[in-house]
Amino acid sequence: MSVILSLLIILPILTVSILGISRASINILRISSLSISIVVFVLIILLTFQFDTSQELQFISKVPWIINYGISYYIGIDALSLVLLLLISLLMPLIFISIWHREEKGYFYNLLLLQSGVIGALVSLDLILFYLFWEIMLLPIFIMIGKYGYGKKEYNSMKIILMTVFGSMSMLFSIIYLGFMHFESYGVWSFALDDLARLNLSVNSNIILAGGFLLAFSIKIPLVGLHTWIAPAYASAPTPALVVLSAIMAKLGIYGLWRFGFELFSATFVYYQSLVTILAIIGMIFYAISAIMQDNLKRMFAFSSASHLSLIALGLFLANIYSWSGSLYLIISHALASAGIFLMIGMIGNRLDTIKISNLGGIASVAPRFTFFFALFALGIVGVPMTGGFVAEMLIIFGAFKYSFVVGVFTASTMVGAIIFVFWMLQRTIFSKAMTKEFPDLSKRELLIIIPLAILLIATGIFPSFFMEIFNTNLELMLQGVKI
Amino acid sequence: MIEFLISLSLTTIIIGAIVLMLITLYKSISIAHKNLLAIGILFVAFLLQLIILLNIDKSIYLYPDIFNHSFIVDKLSTIFDLMFLGGAIFTLAINNRYFINRDYYNGEFFSLILWSVFGMMMLSHANELISAFISLEVASISIYTLVGYKKDDIKSSEAMLKYIILGALASSFFILGTALIYGAVGSTGFGDIHNFIESHPTQDLSMIIVGLSFILITILFKIGAVPFHSWVIDVYHGAPFPITMFMASILKIALFSILLRLYLVDFSHFYNIFSPMLTFIALITLLGGSLLAISQTNLKRMLAGSSIVHSGYLLMALSSIKSDNQEASLAIMFYLVSYVISAIGAFGILSFVASHRKRKLTFEEFKGFAHQRPFLGAMMTIFMLSLAGFPSTIGFLGKFYIFMSVIQSGNIALAGFGIAIAFISVYYYFKLIALMYFYPSPHPKEKYSFSITTVVISLLAIATIWGGIGTKLISFLPSGDVLLEIAREALMQI
Repeated sequence: MSVILSLLIILPILTVSILGISRASINILRISSLSISIVVFVLIILLTFQFDTSQELQFISKVPWIINYGISYYIGIDALSLVLLLLISLLMPLIFISIWHREEKGYFYNLLLLQSGVIGALVSLDLILFYLFWEIMLLPIFIMIGKYGYGKKEYNSMKIILMTVFGSMSMLFSIIYLGFMHFESYGVWSFALDDLARLNLSVNSNIILAGGFLLAFSIKIPLVGLHTWIAPAYASAPTPALVVLSAIMAKLGIYGLWRFGFELFSATFVYYQSLVTILAIIGMIFYAISAIMQDNLKRMFAFSSASHLSLIALGLFLANIYSWSGSLYLIISHALASAGIFLMIGMIGNRLDTIKISNLGGIASVAPRFTFFFALFALGIVGVPMTGGFVAEMLIIFGAFKYSFVVGVFTASTMVGAIIFVFWMLQRTIFSKAMTKEFPDLSKRELLIIIPLAILLIATGIFPSFFMEIFNTNLELMLQGVKI
Repeated sequence: MIEFLISLSLTTIIIGAIVLMLITLYKSISIAHKNLLAIGILFVAFLLQLIILLNIDKSIYLYPDIFNHSFIVDKLSTIFDLMFLGGAIFTLAINNRYFINRDYYNGEFFSLILWSVFGMMMLSHANELISAFISLEVASISIYTLVGYKKDDIKSSEAMLKYIILGALASSFFILGTALIYGAVGSTGFGDIHNFIESHPTQDLSMIIVGLSFILITILFKIGAVPFHSWVIDVYHGAPFPITMFMASILKIALFSILLRLYLVDFSHFYNIFSPMLTFIALITLLGGSLLAISQTNLKRMLAGSSIVHSGYLLMALSSIKSDNQEASLAIMFYLVSYVISAIGAFGILSFVASHRKRKLTFEEFKGFAHQRPFLGAMMTIFMLSLAGFPSTIGFLGKFYIFMSVIQSGNIALAGFGIAIAFISVYYYFKLIALMYFYPSPHPKEKYSFSITTVVISLLAIATIWGGIGTKLISFLPSGDVLLEIAREALMQI
């Protein structure tokens, strides 16, 4: 079965190279990207059926790669990566359908490359391998924003790449140093996650090394203070890049912390726990206020995304089973809802050439189907009951109260704030005075994209235990190793 | 056998150089054919060296009776020879179009290139200071001439004058250093110097230390290390494209071939003196080179500045060589290969673009380049990523090995500094990618033209990617690991 994992990485990138070299026409490109993404989805579904939920890492394969420094092509998945793999592989076909009419070949190439990068990052268990994929997936985003984006796209794409590379470089330093410490301690080189996790380092060097990882992933999330790229990047990004950025890339920051941060530095994170908790709470409030004040829908949901990711990060660092399963569940439901909302914002942009709230209004009276789904996703993002977000946020709030009363109160109250924000946004955008006269309702193709997301979003709200079964045992196993 | 082969490959190049000079008289032979002839000669020498590499198992002296132990043949020198020859082949092949579109190139150009390669090969074999100096000058003087090859171009002449005056001054330091060492040791052979140092207490060796420092100054000047870098940007800019490429890549390897041998043999007793000095020079080279590279608006000048930065990385690795830990020299050799592949590729694309129409090659000119020429744009992106040290390219592994060796020598802060500089370099390399892709092109889309240049560029791009990911996963194809193993065996022989 581990062959399938390698296949998942190789298939998209192979398609890119073959189609790129043969200069395929746009039609072939459309068909093959969509079919490859569907194949990847089917393969991951297959993996899910084979997956044994009671065990941790599975489908492991380890092949030497750079022998000189003991780096290996070391892959495997557990429930955490499986959930994210399912998300990306579900989203990619939908994104490809949504850009079916586009003439620009670059979208297809970049998205396929991105899929390879993300899948690679999700399955790699060797730190250098992870770093490789982590950087690779940056490139398509950089090019998509810079090439097809809006506004000051060149400047903003440069900004996003410089900030994220800065984080990656600090992580690279930590990785190299960890590898060296492994060599010092055991006399052999290794960059494998489980080998490095066994290292006994002094507290001080652990704090510095953990800081390197934390910086890289916090920029991606982003925690407050490292967030200056997010609003401009989201505002400049074209819809496909935007969907990937909010639904996948930001979550990978969390994934990185979870997989690498907690595995390597779970004891050290005690020192960072209060810092991250405070930053996350400030972030939730700050981002929520910033979101309310935006007039541009993309910027607004950029901040709302960041607010929720802060919540997820908070749940992660509280490190108890409620907050952890809440965080992972919120990753799922937020990815579904934000993918939906950003796709629909893209539709608004296509139809009206504006995504400014002050220019919108009255869509509800001309496009009822659109209104229904838009409201559903918007409410799904803030987690009203019947959507997955509600369950997840409840769990995180439980976890927060378990950790400390004050943190619990803050967390719970920001949730209420978020609901106010989304209702006010809906009122101004969709309802209110009839500014929008011409607004074609959702076409069949658009419904094809939106409905699976909507169904899943509601299903996660109604049958949480069905989804949580996949990862709960795994999370408990992972928690046993965590000493916060 | 090996002596015969090595002299055969050297004489092939000399004879080739003379033949090329003579056939300049025949105007009927086209420039493309002369280029092909030069490539052919280099390729024969390359094959001979390849045979030597496969057969050599211990270091021997080249005709010790005639040359009095002045020249050594071992795996290290053979690898460096292969790098010079391979690099020269790629340089000539990639510039084919450039030569054809310029009327002033003629046979003597290739002849001078071959002479220069000959000098470099002798340099990598040199086991004695005077022969090293002569070989270095053979290589350098050919290049002085080549820098000013376009006589009616004022920039080219300026570059040559600058380079020749400063270069001659720097070379005189080499002679001075040699004299001082000879005064102390009574011999200029590397082995003799080494034995003398080993058998005397450190306080008696101050003259040797001063002499070695002088020699080091010459080499640092030639590789463009800060503070001896002031010539680099202007000379690289003024020189014709093929020569800029040749200097930035192959001449640099040649200097490292002698520097590495000297440093491993004769400096070995003084690492605690030279290591901090080199560390300091590496730091300012990295910083100064980055500042120069960031501020350039012309691509050729930017690459010149970035070549200073790459010298800085190499010096960083050199400074971390310890007597009990020579991993860094492997890293240096790998980095040289990785840099040469990417730099020749990047310069090659520039020269290919420059060969078609008169262009200034500023960053502005490259706006929308990827729309105009998608293939070359993609290739340029690969080379830029490699130069920036982006993972999945050979450039990343090169930097990775250097950082690892620096950390292994215990200098963690220096490795951290190197990573920070790598971050800065991301800016100016990605700026080019951004310009190529993010702006509409003012020129119409050009058709993909098949030529030897594009083939070589694609080959180099494949090598760049393969070097970065190619691995033991696919064991029958050679990759970075193989290179390291050969280099390791070579170092064992010293």
